[in-house]
Amino acid sequence: MTRPVNDSPPEEAAVHLLDAVTLPCGAEVDPLLEQVADGRAADLDAHQRECVHCQAAIAEFTALWAPVAETAARPVPAPPGLTAAVMSQIRVLVRDVWYTLQTANLGVIRIAARIVATRARDAARTVPGVRVALGRSTHGKVAALAERATFQHHHPHAAVGVLGRTAVVDLAVAVSYGEPVHEVARHIQRQVIATLRDEIGLQTVAVNVIIDDVLIGEDQ
Amino acid sequence: MQPGPEVGDAYLVTRARDGYLDAYEILVQRHSAMAYRVALRLCGRHHDAQDIAQEALIAAWENLARFNGDSSFSTWLYQIVTRRALNKITRGQTPDPTNPLDDVTDPVTEPAVQAERNLAVDAVTQALATLPFPQRTVVVLHHLEGLSYAEVAEVTHSSVPAVRSHLFRARRTLGKKLAEWR
Repeated sequence: MTRPVNDSPPEEAAVHLLDAVTLPCGAEVDPLLEQVADGRAADLDAHQRECVHCQAAIAEFTALWAPVAETAARPVPAPPGLTAAVMSQIRVLVRDVWYTLQTANLGVIRIAARIVATRARDAARTVPGVRVALGRSTHGKVAALAERATFQHHHPHAAVGVLGRTAVVDLAVAVSYGEPVHEVARHIQRQVIATLRDEIGLQTVAVNVIIDDVLIGEDQ
Repeated sequence: MQPGPEVGDAYLVTRARDGYLDAYEILVQRHSAMAYRVALRLCGRHHDAQDIAQEALIAAWENLARFNGDSSFSTWLYQIVTRRALNKITRGQTPDPTNPLDDVTDPVTEPAVQAERNLAVDAVTQALATLPFPQRTVVVLHHLEGLSYAEVAEVTHSSVPAVRSHLFRARRTLGKKLAEWR
């Protein structure tokens, strides 16, 4: 302790306290500051319960550290659009150039394979027992870009392949523990085929369902 | 797409490495706020923080194959964000602590209380900016992000004694700066 703190203005008292190595009682300053900063100010040990110097220092540090605790508690949301910007850049790296092609009197309708994958995924998620469903929309040469980034070999059942009004959809699914897996898989296939037929107009759809995880409880 | 709260990060990382962008999108949704928040507290400027968070999340995807799963995805992302923040700062862009959190509002709090809280947060941001980067990093990770000493040591490729040593010095400096502000 370099000098008594009791006669100083509050800010000076705090600075003197922070310049000291120990309090008049012999207690070290750093552990006290750590105790307060880690949110353990109320956890007084036997010495601190009897010591006015320690109690005064803890009270001072608690007031001093309040803005830090406040900052920690303050939510800082991600800027709007951050996720979209990240995924947009990644999709540029793995651009899906495959489209469904439907010709009609009014012109040609092209729907990107990733849209097919998205709708298939969303349809699969409505099936009871499905905890998560992921659709993959990389294909062929395009998948090579993703493989280069992830060093993964091309999956044998890769992707959504679309040709005209035909599509092959690949879905990775995790189901809840206790659900009849084969029934869930059949349900997913029926649901996805119906959705792609009714909403996108695809006529021939094959759905490869890969049940690759069974989840227990709230989180895994 | 809604984040999938029911599956863990490890499952999503595995699927993302298989090429399922959906899986990585859920990871981005889960962790983008953390990436931005840490970058903001380290560099002090909204636009820099946004750039750092975006670059870090893309770099994490590009390097998924190198992520061996020994640590959690969030720990790995903390490492990438702090490294990129340091790169940005050492390239000569010094923190500008002037109202860095102006665009972060809390609609529930009364305006007067909100203003007081903004002052407190600004004071902490300015005090943080005076710390050497290694000390700033451990304060942000431990006291603002709530990571344990061991987790901070893992993120910073350091040791628990080194983390505690940085924290001891940083707390004294921060305390003096905050005493001036009071």
